[in-house]
Amino acid sequence: MGPKGVVGLAGALIVVLLVLSSVYIIPETHRGVMLRFGELVETDIQAGIHFKVPVIDQVREFDIRVLTMDLPSRQYLTIEKKPLDVDSYIAWKILNVDQFYRATGGDEYRAQSLLLSRVDNGLRDEFGIRTMHEVVSGQRDELMHTLRDRVNETSVNEFGIEVLDVRVKAIEFPGQVSENVYRRMATEREKLAQEFRSRGRELAEGIRADADRQRTVTLAEAFAESEETRGEGDGQAATIYADAYGANAEFYSFYRSLQAYQNTFSSKDDIMVIDSDSDFMKFLKDPQGGR
Amino acid sequence: MAWNEPGGNRNDNDPWGNGGRRGDDQGPPDLDEALKKGLDKLNRMLGGKGKKSGGSGGSTGGGAGGFGAIIALAGILVVGYVVFQSFYTVDEQERAVVLRFGEYNRTENPGLRFKVPLIDDVTKVRVTSVRTAESSGQMLTQDENLVTVDLQVQYRVADAQAYVLNVRDSNQALAFATDSALRHEVGSSSLDDVLTEGRAELAVRVEQRLQRFLGEYGTGLEIVRVNVESTQPPPAVQDAFREVQRAREDEQRVKEEAETYRNKVVPEARGQAQRMIEEANAYKQEVIERARGETARFLELLAVYQKAPTVTRDRLYLQALESVLSNSSKILVDTESSGNMMYLPLDRLTQGSLPRSGGQSSGSGSSQMDIQDLTDQVIKELRTRQDTNVRRSR
Repeated sequence: MGPKGVVGLAGALIVVLLVLSSVYIIPETHRGVMLRFGELVETDIQAGIHFKVPVIDQVREFDIRVLTMDLPSRQYLTIEKKPLDVDSYIAWKILNVDQFYRATGGDEYRAQSLLLSRVDNGLRDEFGIRTMHEVVSGQRDELMHTLRDRVNETSVNEFGIEVLDVRVKAIEFPGQVSENVYRRMATEREKLAQEFRSRGRELAEGIRADADRQRTVTLAEAFAESEETRGEGDGQAATIYADAYGANAEFYSFYRSLQAYQNTFSSKDDIMVIDSDSDFMKFLKDPQGGR
Repeated sequence: MAWNEPGGNRNDNDPWGNGGRRGDDQGPPDLDEALKKGLDKLNRMLGGKGKKSGGSGGSTGGGAGGFGAIIALAGILVVGYVVFQSFYTVDEQERAVVLRFGEYNRTENPGLRFKVPLIDDVTKVRVTSVRTAESSGQMLTQDENLVTVDLQVQYRVADAQAYVLNVRDSNQALAFATDSALRHEVGSSSLDDVLTEGRAELAVRVEQRLQRFLGEYGTGLEIVRVNVESTQPPPAVQDAFREVQRAREDEQRVKEEAETYRNKVVPEARGQAQRMIEEANAYKQEVIERARGETARFLELLAVYQKAPTVTRDRLYLQALESVLSNSSKILVDTESSGNMMYLPLDRLTQGSLPRSGGQSSGSGSSQMDIQDLTDQVIKELRTRQDTNVRRSR
């Protein structure tokens, strides 16, 4: 019974191993292919539990999730022959595991290097037909979509790979060019600074001139108004005088002359040399007043 | 339960497989004996605990008591392990994605959850907590300038299923997409926009673009917020930028100075104008009032004059001359008797009079004396002439 028991146990173990190795699970994130003696017998195996013939059938499974791959920074020339350092990445995934297996043997790194050279070529072409300005700002989306579609035209059929997106991360000037850019930027700023200062002076001058004008005009207007007022006063006064003095012009001129004399000789400093024959002095020389 | 047991101990020896084999072959006694001896030794060493498990083993194992005990012990351990493995908790900030036989089955919410061991594969994902990613660096703007931008992205997992199943490395995808979106949007903005007013808008555009990229890749991530933390010109040109800032300040300053000038000059001019006008008004009223006063006085006098013209006229005349002569220095000259030239040192007279009005002067004493002399002489002369005149008129 001893040997018989050992054999039985061994047999049972083998059965279990066979059962276990005939069952396999493909997770949701993967798809599989089954090879029988190297020949692809079952394709695009979906997630779930599956069976195979142990030893004879081999299952290869591939991650079908989206992968992002950083492309090394490369220098490309634009249409005006400006060099630009471009850093980009691609997002891709395996679309057809059968084709992917045939094209790459299931090696992701090979797939990436194949993609890399195609994207690199594509970028060179796309940059080469655009100006720097278009590349930097205007046509980034367009450039990337064109490139993605071009790569997909072949990669889907040849590699079973779909490129979801090609994106430029950074577009930069090479080192020496950066220096020139810095200088240009500094110059532009100087220009701007000068503009600000000059504009300040311009505005200030305008404000001052305006102030001066306001002053001059205000004073001139005031002068005009005051002269007018004075004139009115003079006119009214003249009318009053004329009305009054017209009553007796002869007496007025006498009266006014006397006033004028008094006003004229009002200071002790005035020296009068008086002829003793004058009317005023007539009694001085003669009590009869010359009569 | 039996189904699960093999899986639970797949790496160890399989108890289910073992049991099945025994059932088929009716159990090899040699092996049983050997095992039983071994178990007895074990029981002795373990004492009470060994007996207890041995007893329970006996009830299930039937004839082969000791061997049954060890099977039972193993069975209990396995069952305990399986039960322990079947339950798991999902934290409030987590969601659990469950794959059954590799296929997506369900996404579990927080709480105590059950899974079928080995068959269900559970991946827990933190979904509520906000994570951050940074992107910064020097980049080109639309006008081909360079600018340094620091950006922070706050995001969380919105769709645990997508996060687990669609993208292998979501964080790297996010980092790349952030770089790309940021540089794309900066590349579509002018330098001034990025540095000043356009920053908020830049953040919004980066957020939209980034969300779109992440959506296209099916990352299951959701952008909560994008903060543009700082935007600066490159260090090499920062001086020039500060100079612009200073120039801007200068512009303001010069303008303010001019406004200060205006605020001084214009009101002053208005004040001056007001004064001129007021003075003119004063003048106007003055001349009118004077005219009225003078004419009133004249008219009053005229009325009197018309009643007695000669007397009034003489009186006025004498009164006026009196007033005139009493208020001034005078020299009476009898011109008739002096047909010859008469010399009056008028310059000396006026000179002599000056110190009186101009106050003290060094030569005042002497000139005063001169005038005194002169006056005396003139008076004497006048007297003599008067005498002769009187005599002659007789």
